[in-house]
Amino acid sequence: MSTAMNFGTKSFQPRPPDKGSFPLDHFGECKAFKEKFLKCLRDNNFENTLCRNESKEYLECRMERPQIKNLSSRRSLRSLEL
Amino acid sequence: MAVLGRPPWRRLGACWGWWGGRAAALQQRQPPWRLKSTNPFTREQEQEWRRRNRTVLMYVAAAAVGMIGASYAAVPLYRLYCQTTGLGGSTVAGHASDQIETMVPVKDRIIKVTFNADVHASLHWNFRPQQTEIYVVPGETALAFYKAKNPTDKPVIGISTYNVVPFAAGQYFNKIQCFCFEEQRLNPQEEVDMPIFFFIDPEFAEDPKMAKVDVITLSYTFFEAKGGHKLPVPGYN
Repeated sequence: MSTAMNFGTKSFQPRPPDKGSFPLDHFGECKAFKEKFLKCLRDNNFENTLCRNESKEYLECRMERPQIKNLSSRRSLRSLEL
Repeated sequence: MAVLGRPPWRRLGACWGWWGGRAAALQQRQPPWRLKSTNPFTREQEQEWRRRNRTVLMYVAAAAVGMIGASYAAVPLYRLYCQTTGLGGSTVAGHASDQIETMVPVKDRIIKVTFNADVHASLHWNFRPQQTEIYVVPGETALAFYKAKNPTDKPVIGISTYNVVPFAAGQYFNKIQCFCFEEQRLNPQEEVDMPIFFFIDPEFAEDPKMAKVDVITLSYTFFEAKGGHKLPVPGYN
């Protein structure tokens, strides 16, 4: 946050996430998918475009947990299929 | 002497004969609202002046009260103005979540997003990003991970907020899902992965002010939460 009292300069406004908070993976059920995704990133020099399949797999793993029946985030998951 | 019995402002003309008497009469103090002039011609003029003075005083007082009222009214009016025109970084209507499926990535603009993690001094967590940077293009959704570990032997509740540098790029940084602004509880010795699912708005590529921006830094800070508090979500309500 900007601490200087700058009148007229734009200050940062944090916004809440669009689909809400991610319920955390406290039991580590999707850890394998996460490791695969991070390995893919490291191999491809941290380029996101080349690792979209792995991120889709991770998100699918999180979505199929019984406590996350979130239809609206399934729609955003479809964006990864492009 | 009889002079000493008079009030001080009436002792002036004593003992000076006729002239002294006139001087004393002239310098006698009158109560303040009596007109100064004794002459009937100048008395009317003085009354006119007094009336005009009173009118001017009324106008000036009304202007002062008006200014104070305007300064109180400015706050909601400015807020309305900002929301309609979208100035000052407030969210512009049009960031609909439906566009996530239909947005087209702008492939020729590669942006490096670096990650930073901070922790408040009273919160003894190990909080760090799991990748130092990631290269994205506007319009493409991306996933990033942070990791937090609670090395203490008591459950701790934390809550986080984030910051995007440069500030002006923050309005294009949309998070679909993340772990911020909600209380996250970590049991003793628990380590958890914290994902962020985000994208940069395709309009970023069309903004002339963002033409030189190639690096965006996303910084998360965790604070300790006293359980049970419901924090207001940032933004105007």
